[in-house]
Formats: sequence, C-alpha cells, structure tokens
Amino acid sequence: MSIPSLLQWVEGTDLSTAIREGALPYPILGGVHLLAIALFGGMVLMTDFRLLGWAMRRTAVPDVVRQFQAWKRAGFVVLVASGLLLAWAEPLKLYRSPSFWVKMALLALVGVHALVFRLRVYGKSARLDVAETVEGKLAAAISLVLWGGLIVSGRLIAYDA
Amino acid sequence: MSAPSFFEWLTTSPWANAMNGPEWAFPVVQSLHFIGFAFSIGTIAIVDLRLLGLAMRRQSAAELAADLDPWTRLGLALMLITGPLMFSADAVAYHNNPSFQFKMVVLALALLFHFTIHRKATRSGVLPLAAKFAGGMSLLLWTAVVAGGRMIAFV
Repeated sequence: MSIPSLLQWVEGTDLSTAIREGALPYPILGGVHLLAIALFGGMVLMTDFRLLGWAMRRTAVPDVVRQFQAWKRAGFVVLVASGLLLAWAEPLKLYRSPSFWVKMALLALVGVHALVFRLRVYGKSARLDVAETVEGKLAAAISLVLWGGLIVSGRLIAYDA
Repeated sequence: MSAPSFFEWLTTSPWANAMNGPEWAFPVVQSLHFIGFAFSIGTIAIVDLRLLGLAMRRQSAAELAADLDPWTRLGLALMLITGPLMFSADAVAYHNNPSFQFKMVVLALALLFHFTIHRKATRSGVLPLAAKFAGGMSLLLWTAVVAGGRMIAFV
C-alpha cells in the first residue's frame, strides 16, 4: 500500500470526516492546541531562560527545572494528542505541505534534543547547582530555537494549501 | 471621523499595506503573536497554578509573580504590537467579527483583573481561598481570550 493510498484511507475514516466536516471539532482541537502553547509555553521559556541565567535567578536551577518538568510533559501530551487528531482530519493536505514536513523534522529534533540532554542537563539538574553551565546554556538555546521553529512552521501549514 | 471610515482608513495605512504585501508577513506576525502569548499568558499561568497550590510550591506566589513580571510584560508588549498589526490588515471585517468582539471584551477583563485583583492576590498574607479564586479566575479569563482568538478564523 502506498503512502497516499494509506492517507486516503485515513481521510475516509469516520473520525477524520467528523473532525473535518463538523462545525465544532476542528476549531476546538485547534483551540486546545493553541491553548497548550499559551499555558505551557511559558514553562518551556522560563526553564530555558533559567538555564541561560536570564530569568528567575533567585531560584536554583534544579528547583526550576524539576518543578516545571511534570507540567511541561502534560502540556506536550496535550499538544501531540490534539495535533494527531488535527492531522487525522486532513492527512493528504499535510502530506503535500512543505511546512508540515519542516515541523515534523523539528519535532524529531526535539526528540534528539531530549535524548542528548535529558541525562546530561535536565536529569542531573542538581549538579548544575545555582550556577549556570555551558552545557545547560547550549541545551536551552537549542530548545528555544526548536520551539520557535515549531511555532512558525506550524502556523505556515495553513498557508501552504 | 465616523467609526467605519476609521477602520477603512486603517486598512489603507502603511503598516496594513506591509501586512497585506508579502505572503509571509501575516504568518510571521501571527507566529510572533503566539510567542507573545507564550511569554505573557504562559508566565501568568505559572503564577495562577501557584496560587491554586498546584505548581512551584517551593516558591512563594509573591516571589514568582515578581520574578516573572518582566517576561509577562514583554509578552504583553509583543501581543499588543502584533495584534493591532493583524487587525489593521483587515480592520473592517475584524471589527464586525463576533469572535473578535468577544475576544476584545474578555481581553479587557483579563488585563483589568491581572493588574488589580490578581496582583493583590500574589501578596503574602492573602487568604488561601482568595488566592485560589484569583488563580482560577485568571486561568479562565486567559483561556477565553485564546479560545475567542482561535474562533475568529471560523466565524
């Protein structure tokens, strides 16, 4: 089965049709996706800004990193779940959208970032103590670039079709 | 100048022309708007969750609010620059859009709440129930602002 015909099948499912053609599901899912950026994006920003030494300097690095971790994960789950459902609604359109593939590549890099830095920075944040480290700053800077890119490429998807 | 002609004039302003010019202008400004609310609503939400006793419990709400305030303001500035830019690009349609009108009302309420009751609730010695009310109300108001914004494109 070729990829386009598989995506055609996805687009033919009841769930896909319901999200695409219903008046409410699509805007609600888009709203949830956006709301997750609004409510949890601040924690990504503040974690990275703390690692860079720009924000919340009264609070020790591990205190900031650890206390935001569970919330950031919850936000990520909401983003992925709402994103998957939005993609399920129009897979063929996304398959043809260059911005979508840029976004997926950046998402893959977020995964690589987590693998590389989880143990070295975020998992061992106690070692960072109150002072910032070069490795922590590098992790934070890359994270900010990736998340900025995800927002821009995500927004551009709407303009590709 | 009557109201409709003001909005018509806006759509012919130089910045509206810039927004309606290159294809990338609108999505880039929209992306900056999103980054703006990640800063502003995102940092306000951290304080809200603290007021509710759900996050950052090792810091006081007063300490958090003070440390995050500059970033909240940076985000608000970014939103209040990019928002009117997008509005100018199609001012007549936006000002007649019910979702846009809803968003402006809840935005005014959210900002008013933020700089009055919410600010007071972060001070030390506030009753726990009052702090929780302020945190919950703030989350609700900002959620309504984002939801109203998303609906503009669908109404």
